[in-house]
Amino acid sequence: MARRIIIVGANAAGVEAASAARKKDRTAEITLITQEKNAGYSRCGLPFVIGGQIPNFKDLIVYPPAYFQMLKLNLKNETKVTAINTKDKTVTAVDKAGTTETLQYDSLVIATGADAFMPPIKGREKQGILSLRSLEDGEKIDEAVKNGAKSAVIMGAGLIGLETGVALIERGLKVTIVEMLPQILPQMLDEDMAKMMQEALQEKGMCILTGKTVEEFLGGEKVTAIMAGGEKIEADLFISAFGVRANTKLAVDAGIPLGETRAIKTNMRMETDVKDVYAVGDCAEAPNIITHKQMCAQLGTIAVRQGKVAGANAAGDYAQFTGILASAVTRLFETEAGVTGLTENAAARARIEVITGAINSKTAADYYPSAKPIKVKLVVEKESQRIIGAQIVGGEEVTQRINALSFAIQKQMTVRELAKADTAYAPPLNETWEPMVLAAEMVLMKLR
Amino acid sequence: MVKADGYEVPEGLYYSKDFEWIKIEGDKVRMGVTDYAQKSLREIVYAELPSAGGEVKQNEPYGTVESVKAVSDLIAAISGTIEEVNGEAQSKPELLNEDPYGKGWLLVVKPANLQAELTNLMDFAKAVEWHKNQTK
Repeated sequence: MARRIIIVGANAAGVEAASAARKKDRTAEITLITQEKNAGYSRCGLPFVIGGQIPNFKDLIVYPPAYFQMLKLNLKNETKVTAINTKDKTVTAVDKAGTTETLQYDSLVIATGADAFMPPIKGREKQGILSLRSLEDGEKIDEAVKNGAKSAVIMGAGLIGLETGVALIERGLKVTIVEMLPQILPQMLDEDMAKMMQEALQEKGMCILTGKTVEEFLGGEKVTAIMAGGEKIEADLFISAFGVRANTKLAVDAGIPLGETRAIKTNMRMETDVKDVYAVGDCAEAPNIITHKQMCAQLGTIAVRQGKVAGANAAGDYAQFTGILASAVTRLFETEAGVTGLTENAAARARIEVITGAINSKTAADYYPSAKPIKVKLVVEKESQRIIGAQIVGGEEVTQRINALSFAIQKQMTVRELAKADTAYAPPLNETWEPMVLAAEMVLMKLR
Repeated sequence: MVKADGYEVPEGLYYSKDFEWIKIEGDKVRMGVTDYAQKSLREIVYAELPSAGGEVKQNEPYGTVESVKAVSDLIAAISGTIEEVNGEAQSKPELLNEDPYGKGWLLVVKPANLQAELTNLMDFAKAVEWHKNQTK
């Protein structure tokens, strides 16, 4: 009999799992179930539709209906899984019409993602607080702008908050960002690096209030202002970007254990504590490569890598997930920022003693007219001298440097080895001394 | 040639709902996968095709195409005896992406029951409409 694989969720992690399962098993019955109307679209692209760089929300659909049909993936959209029974190996699902169906599985992949998180702020039940998670959320924000919104308050200075902020400024809105912590991008950058980005954003007219907690939503039925740090801020549009929380309800109800981060606990094969049940993407935790501690970094790149591993395993193959460095990049206006591994802050929290080194350089020869500034910061473990983290802020060419440093960390390269790296140069393309190498030299000087 | 939702649909071909096209060339039929199919699968890295002399049957698989991330059966749009197999597409599967209606053709078949089977396929006008509805 054909193997039955059910995947709950049909975005980055879910579709990747389905594809990997199909690659391994050409005859399996593979079913994807999603509550959403659209499957297989890129959430990460949402801010760029709002900003106008991408014409339509529909353009974000990475996997069109043909993909599901060609791979013989049975897609059930607008269908909600209401229960998982791990003993009988069934899932119960209710479709749009209200019809309940119980489906049998041999392997189950939970890819239920995460939900936008709203802290218990006074007045949060009021209407008009938008978030940006789904395609429909994006359409709502876009509609509000089309309906004449002139100003926006965005709560949270993480990636989504800032990318949405930039998009709204590009659409002509006045944007205020409110962040509880003393810096922007707190998950991604240390304060010194974040400052560089913050200045670049402020220059473009973004109003950034750090160290301010949102205390209350004001207005009648509809929000018209917030109180933050004792200050009243009025706006036409309110976007909560406080972050996301793993969507684990189905798993918890089914008795599938969560881990220390409150996301679904998994092993190296992305299998949960229950046999033949896998969990991937924003709802699952996995070990950090450096600290070996569980983490739930909720990035699309992690989702697809985990999905591929779980899908292969669910189809009878053997695959391992190698862990998380949480490499991430963004571009806000003309400034790019990236991270891989631990920030100095995260290292301190993990009680890892570090030496750091940072260098300001250029993305081309200093004399070349289009050279842009770039700053590279390395975080090095003191005893082993291994690189355990890197951050870069600059005008261009950040991503592939972050990738190179990610490879270096994965291969446990020492800062001494990086200082001797054989790099490439031509005046329009790089400085003679590669900035990553100069940053390594900075660290070595401190180690003398 | 029209573009339906960014996917090319040339005139004069017949189309199946399994993303294949056929072109009638005298008493023979050339077949391949549509632009929509190749764009959905992305970079095709492998095409497994049957040998000349074999038979294909309408609505039944005759081979597979594989991309880095995906694998799909090729479903015959019509029945017949295989007269020619595109060896170049096998050795250079990127032709399916670059020129799905031209150099990326897969088989030339001597049809067994063309007139009857054509009624199961979409003509140009229907195919354009169908492509538009696919991504709505």
